[in-house]
Amino acid sequence: MSKRKVFQGNIIVAKAAIAAGCDFFAGYPITPSSEVSQHLSKEFPKMGRDFIQMEDEISALGACIGASLSGKKVLTATSGPGFSLMQEHLGLAVMAEIPLVIVNVMRGGPSTGIPTKPSQADMMQTRWGTHGDHPIIVLYPAFADEIFSETVRAFNLSEKFWNPVILLLDEVIAKAHEDIEIPEKKDINIYTEKVNVIKDLNIYDRNIGENPPRVDFFKGYPIHIDGLEHDSHGWPTSDPATADKMQHLRMQKIYHFQDEIIKFNEYHMEDAEIMVFAFGVSARAALSAVREARDEGIKVGLFQPLTIWPFPKKALQERFRKVKKVLTVEMNMGQIKYEIERVSSDDVMKKTLLRANGIPFTPKEIVNSIKEFTK
Amino acid sequence: MDREEKQINEAALEIRKKKQPSKKKNIIELVSHYCKGCGLCVDSCPTGTLLLEDNINSKFGISVMIAAPEYCIGCKMCERRCPDFAIFINHEKDKEEQ
Amino acid sequence: MNKYEKYIRYQTFPTPWCPGCGDGIVLKSIAMAFSDLNLDPNDIIVIAGIGCSGRMPTFFNTNTLHTTHGRALTFATGVKLSRPDKLVVVISGDGDALAIGGNHLIHAARRNIGIKMILINNGVYGMTGGQVSPLTPQKFITETTPYGNIEPKFHPAELMIAARATFVARETVNRTVQLKEVIKKSFQHKGFSVVEAISNCHINLGRKNKMKNPVKMTKWIAERTVTKAQYEKMTTEERAHKYPVGILEENTDRYEYSELYHKHIVPAAKEAAKKNNKK
Repeated sequence: MSKRKVFQGNIIVAKAAIAAGCDFFAGYPITPSSEVSQHLSKEFPKMGRDFIQMEDEISALGACIGASLSGKKVLTATSGPGFSLMQEHLGLAVMAEIPLVIVNVMRGGPSTGIPTKPSQADMMQTRWGTHGDHPIIVLYPAFADEIFSETVRAFNLSEKFWNPVILLLDEVIAKAHEDIEIPEKKDINIYTEKVNVIKDLNIYDRNIGENPPRVDFFKGYPIHIDGLEHDSHGWPTSDPATADKMQHLRMQKIYHFQDEIIKFNEYHMEDAEIMVFAFGVSARAALSAVREARDEGIKVGLFQPLTIWPFPKKALQERFRKVKKVLTVEMNMGQIKYEIERVSSDDVMKKTLLRANGIPFTPKEIVNSIKEFTK
Repeated sequence: MDREEKQINEAALEIRKKKQPSKKKNIIELVSHYCKGCGLCVDSCPTGTLLLEDNINSKFGISVMIAAPEYCIGCKMCERRCPDFAIFINHEKDKEEQ
Repeated sequence: MNKYEKYIRYQTFPTPWCPGCGDGIVLKSIAMAFSDLNLDPNDIIVIAGIGCSGRMPTFFNTNTLHTTHGRALTFATGVKLSRPDKLVVVISGDGDALAIGGNHLIHAARRNIGIKMILINNGVYGMTGGQVSPLTPQKFITETTPYGNIEPKFHPAELMIAARATFVARETVNRTVQLKEVIKKSFQHKGFSVVEAISNCHINLGRKNKMKNPVKMTKWIAERTVTKAQYEKMTTEERAHKYPVGILEENTDRYEYSELYHKHIVPAAKEAAKKNNKK
């Protein structure tokens, strides 16, 4: 008998979090991500793990950070308005190098927008939402099995790189029910090498490209964690040389390892002359569209990034040596299209298919755009 | 030293006039590089043992001096009220009791 | 080094506070409270928000955390729920706790989560130069009330009692022994506790209101300090501008939140799961 069962996208995120060892959830209800919270409110007490509904999104992320520093693997789930509120604490987590996973289920925006319809309009916000220079990792699955594996990968990356990781979904993939075979525990790869012993209190001292030897609270070391710029001990400082060094250390910690962090899927790209660049719900329609177009003899392929930030610049530049036409499909007024413009030269023809009214693209619409491109 | 700081000193001197030197010897330890010369200890002392003085070596141009150590009764009000950990009474003795 | 100095992180001294600032006195009183109770520094965490009081964790030789403005209680909630066995102390100024952080304050009290809050009330936003706060006395001149403050104050202790906090006390930086004692008692209390410490910001508030000397401003606080018993005998007119000190509320009836979660919800959920599996 098949091991495939039908689950809602939000529930798959919750199940993957449990499998990854997440043991603290603090959240606030918001459409369309509340199911993550509700599922964990039921399951976590059964497992002795911590669940709390806080009074707003700001306090939800605050509680998550407090718990992460106390040794827990933490998760919170929200959508546009809540994600905007979380920006300050997201910056603190980057500054103090604290692992955590934030799920943002994108809905119609800006502001209250259209809560019950999808969008892909937070792409740039996930990169630049919080103030100051900050590196960030953002993952965005499209299919049910990817939702599971990318959630587990989000936890692994956040622990490995001591940085918050944002897991993006959109209202469609979060709310849709899809069949999935949940992997067995033995087949799930969980990062377990988090450091918990240090030799002195220099918790941020390391070379460029390395991770901080930071321990959690209550391990016997009187450590100080601060949102202020700090020296290798974590004690506040405004010394220019120290500040410069710390900025580089934080950025390079992620960008040194981009090749490991960046993941993408390619469909029918081997001899493609046109590339469709799409992600999330748009990628699902784009895959059908690409297959339909191929049936009609058009040499088109789909490049679906699973990692949005850091942006897969190198991989795209390699493909743009042969592929000279790229169609960016996104449910917004134009965000990732600017990245495509940035990483491609003038000899690559760029078209976009954009819409921000809550209605996802159908395969037919994408096929029509592809056909326009062949002219 | 401004007018108000001089008033703190005058008040301490007035208090000392009505007191006698203490029967027991108490050791006053000043950690001068932490002292900011705020005068709270001078004001707290019930026997007028401490005074403020102008001090070019201090960051704030003013610091505390032990004017009459024999008057100290070991009450530790100065130690409790010092915000900067700059004054200790019978410091060594506490270490022994630890 | 004596007993209470064990809890002080001298490597980060000198403190950044103005000469005579009450923050240093509160720092010392808390260290003395830790020392009297013989606590292991590893079992303590001190969390603060933003402001002059927010710099305090830097000087404690325990686990310390400096967070965002007004949200220290939210981080503390995460820590306490994860490690209910640890002593979680939150230090907050009046602007941090009652303006931007007001919401989190009433929810922490409502939950009765075992966080020990020390609210340093100096009636002003000191670190940013002396702007009006929700606890600035009326008629005072500040950077943002140059013609005199027209906003009435909160009564933070009474606010906390109304929000169902189970331990509320108030002391001043003049009464150092009583301050230390009340902090000690709050540490021993199981649920949410708030100790309001009336402090002096003579440089950024006092100076604009004829009290630029710390001794003068602390005497001004002393004149307004009355015991709880004296306060109760006063008329409404006499009560204005007075700070009643002592333990104002102590209630051991309510469950503490993390205990309720770990010792009641978790076992109940596990039981229900077992029964479901048996079916």
